Amino acid sequence: MKIRAIAFNTLKEAIRDRILYLLLFFALICIAFSRLLALLTIGDRVKIIKDVGLTSISLFGALMAILIGTGLVYKEIDKKTIYTLLSKPIQRYQFLLGKFLGLVLTLFIMLLLMSIIFLALIFFHTFTVEWQMLIAILYVFLELCLITSVALLFSCFSTPILSSIFTLSFYLIGHTAWGLETLIKKIKPGFGKVLAQGLYHFLPDLENFNFKTEIVHSLPIPPSIYLYSTLYGVFYTLFVLTLALLIFRKRDFI
Amino acid sequence: MALAINIENLHKSFSLGFMLKKKKILKGISLEVNEGEIFGYLGPNGAGKTTTIKCILGLIFPEQGKIELFGQSHLSLPAKARTGFLPENPYFYDHLTANEFLTFYSQLFSIKKNEREEKIKDLLQTVGLQQSAGLQLRKFSRGMLQRIGLAQALLNEPSLVLLDEPLGGLDPLGRKEIRDIIVRLKEEGKTVFLSSHILQDIEMICDRVAIIVNGEIINQGALQDLISEKILFTEIDLSGVEEKELEGLGEFLSGHGERGLLKVFKEENVEKVLELVQSRKGKIHSLIPRTETLEDLFVGMVKQK
Amino acid sequence: MRMRLKNGKSFSTVFLVLFLLLTCSVFMNLKIITDRVLRKKIPGSSIIYLPKGKYLKYATFGYSSFLADLIYIWAIQYYSDYTIPDSYLYLYDIFEIIAELDPHYFDPVDMGAFIAAYEAQNPNLAVKILDMGLEKNPKEWFFPYQAAHYIQFMQKDYERVQEYYKKTMSIEGYPPIVPRLYANAVFKAMDYERALEEWLEIYNTAEDERIKQVASNHLYNIKATVDIENLQEAIAKFKEKYDRYPADLSRLVSAGFLDSIPKDIDDKEYLYDSQTGEVKPATIPWKR
Repeated sequence: MKIRAIAFNTLKEAIRDRILYLLLFFALICIAFSRLLALLTIGDRVKIIKDVGLTSISLFGALMAILIGTGLVYKEIDKKTIYTLLSKPIQRYQFLLGKFLGLVLTLFIMLLLMSIIFLALIFFHTFTVEWQMLIAILYVFLELCLITSVALLFSCFSTPILSSIFTLSFYLIGHTAWGLETLIKKIKPGFGKVLAQGLYHFLPDLENFNFKTEIVHSLPIPPSIYLYSTLYGVFYTLFVLTLALLIFRKRDFI
Repeated sequence: MALAINIENLHKSFSLGFMLKKKKILKGISLEVNEGEIFGYLGPNGAGKTTTIKCILGLIFPEQGKIELFGQSHLSLPAKARTGFLPENPYFYDHLTANEFLTFYSQLFSIKKNEREEKIKDLLQTVGLQQSAGLQLRKFSRGMLQRIGLAQALLNEPSLVLLDEPLGGLDPLGRKEIRDIIVRLKEEGKTVFLSSHILQDIEMICDRVAIIVNGEIINQGALQDLISEKILFTEIDLSGVEEKELEGLGEFLSGHGERGLLKVFKEENVEKVLELVQSRKGKIHSLIPRTETLEDLFVGMVKQK
Repeated sequence: MRMRLKNGKSFSTVFLVLFLLLTCSVFMNLKIITDRVLRKKIPGSSIIYLPKGKYLKYATFGYSSFLADLIYIWAIQYYSDYTIPDSYLYLYDIFEIIAELDPHYFDPVDMGAFIAAYEAQNPNLAVKILDMGLEKNPKEWFFPYQAAHYIQFMQKDYERVQEYYKKTMSIEGYPPIVPRLYANAVFKAMDYERALEEWLEIYNTAEDERIKQVASNHLYNIKATVDIENLQEAIAKFKEKYDRYPADLSRLVSAGFLDSIPKDIDDKEYLYDSQTGEVKPATIPWKR
C-alpha cells in the first residue's frame, strides 16, 4: 500500500536522524541519574527511580516527537523531494498519513528501547519486573501520538523553529490546564466566563494521559479513565490530522 | 490527432512578501501538445515555465483555466499514472541507494514486486547507472542525479514525460546522452514536454515549441514554421588575399596577417569572394552560411516585449 | 477524486470540515467526562525528593546556595499545604539541609522555628532548629534570643529561659533589653535574691533615667513580692492558730510570727485587709 511505503521510508529516514540518538542518550542518562538521585534523597529509593524514569521517558519522548515531527513535511518541501513524490498518482492524504505513521512507528521503537532499560533498572532494585509501569508508558505513547500530529500540522506551513515553539507550547498548555480551571472559577458569570470555559474544554488536557503518580505510588486507578483517556487521545489526534490535511491539500508548492 | 496536453487560459498569481502583494505569474496561458511529439517550452528566467509545469502536475492550483492530459482532468489519478516528471535541480532522499530509491517510488505506483526488480535493472541500464545501483544518492554527482531523476520519471512507463531543464549543468557528453534518451523516448511513442534554456539542444530535438515571456505565450508552433530558412550572412575563413581588396564585399571580423574571417551579407558577394581567392591562388579554410537560429528568434521576440 | 459543487467548493473539503467539527465536539465532551473522574492525588508527594545532608555538598557543584533557595521556596509551599498529613515529621531535616547548604542564610532558620512553634505547636522543635542555626552561626544573637522567647511564652520554663538569655548575652551585639529580660526571668523563676542582684546591677549601670526608673520599679516589685509572701505566710499561720485574721499587721509581731513588719522600698506600709487577709503593696509598681 502506498501509505505503508511512505511510512517505512519515513521510519528509515527518522532512524538515521542523529537527534534521535542524542535524545535517547540523554534519556538513558536521566534514567541512570535517577539511581544517583535516589542515593541523595530521603525518599524511598525505588519510588524515585520510577518517578524520574517515567518523567524522563515522557519528556524525551515528547522532545523526539517535536524535533523530528516539525521537520517531517518541512524538509520535504524545503529540499524539494516532495515534487517528485506528489506528482506520482498518490493522494495528498496518503502522503500525510504515511509521514504520521512513520514517525509514530519510530517513537514506538524508541519508547520500547527506553522501557526495556527502565524495567531492567527497576528489576535490579526490586527483583521483579514491574509490568504496570508499561501502562503508564502506554499512555505516554498515546500522548506522543497526539504531539506528533500537532508537530506535523505545524510542519505543513511553518519553519521547524516556529513549529517547535508552537508544538512545545501545546505540550506545556496541555500540562497546565488546571491553572485555567482555577482561573475560571474566579470569573464572574457571563459571556466572558462562557468563552473561557469553551476555551478550557478545547485546549488539550495532556494530564489525561499522565498516570505516573498513581503507578509510582500504587494508588488505585478508576477503570473508566482508561477508556475515556484513550478515546480522548484518539479523537483529538484525528481532529489535528484532519486540520493538517485541510491545510496541506490546498497548499501550492512553489 | 489526440492531445497529450491541452491547456486553456491558465491564470495564476502568488501573494508574496509581508504585505502579501499579488504578483501575476501566468496571464492566460494556452497551449497544445500532440501525442508522440517532443515539445519545447522556452522563455527567460521568471517567465513562468516551471509554474506552468507545476500546474500541470497538480503541485500548484491555478486560479482559472483548464488543463487536460490525454483528455482527462490533470488531477485525476489515471492521468497522473501516465505522467513522469523530472524537476529542475533534482534532489532526492540522499540516505537511500539508487536501488532503494527506485524501489520506494515503484511502491507508489503499485508496481508488483516481481516486476519491480526487472524494471529497475532495465531503467538503470537505460540511463547508464547500472554500476551505481548500490551507491547512496548522497554520493552522486550532478550528472548522476539528473540521470537517476530521469529513471524515476520513467518508472511507470509514462505516455507523457515532463522535463524541467533536463540539460542544465551537464557537460557536453552528458547533454548528448540525455538528448539521445529523449529522442529514443519519442521513438517509443512517448510524448516529451521539456523546458530549457539551451536553445541549440531544443533546436536539435524538438518538433514544436512555445515561447513564454512574462507569463504570456508570444509564439507557438512547429520549429520549421517559426524559423525561416533564409540565410542571414556567410562566414568565410580565407587566406591569401589582401584586406583592401575585400573591402566592400563584406565585414572583416578578424585577421591574422594573411588569414582572416569575413562576414558576407549579400549572396552575390560570396561568389565574388570565391573568385577573388581563386585568382590570387589563396585558400578557403571554411565557408559557413548562417541561417536564423532559434536564439536569434528568441532574442528578437524577447527584445520586442 | 474531487467533484465540484455549484458553489465551487469541492465535496471532499466539505466532508473533511464536517469530520473536523465532529471530532472536535467528541473530544470536548470527553474532556467533560474525564474531568468528572476523580483521580487520587498524594499531596506533598514531592517530599521524596528531599536531599539527605551527607552527600549534599558534593552533589551541588558549587550551586549550594541556589539549591538552598530552591529548597526553601519549596518548603514554604509544602508547609502552606494543609492537606499534607504529618508534614512536620521532616521539619527539622528540611531546615537543617537548607542551613547545611547555606549556613549564613538567616530567614529559613527563623521561619522553620516559627512553623515549628506556631504551626506544629512544638516549641522544643523550634528551639532545636534555632540551636542548629546558632551552631552554624555562632555570631547570631537572634537565635538564642528567639528561642528564649518561645520557651518563655509557650513553656514557661524559666530556668531554660535564663539559659538562653545568658547565651544571648555572650554574643556581641545583643540588644540592651536582654539583661532586663534575663533579670525578669530570674524573678519569674522565683530566685528572688538573684533577681534583686540582677536588677540592682541594672539600676547601677543604667544609662538613662527611664531605665533607672524601670529597674527601680522591678526592685520595688521584688521586695514587695518577697515581703508580701512572708506576710501572707505569717497571716496564714495566725489564721490557723486563732481561726481569724489579725486585726492589723502589728498583731503578727506581737503574736510572735514575725520579727518586724516590713515596709516597701519607698518606706511605705503595705495595705492590709483584715476581712480577706490579703496584703497589697501601697503603690502599683509600674505606676511609681
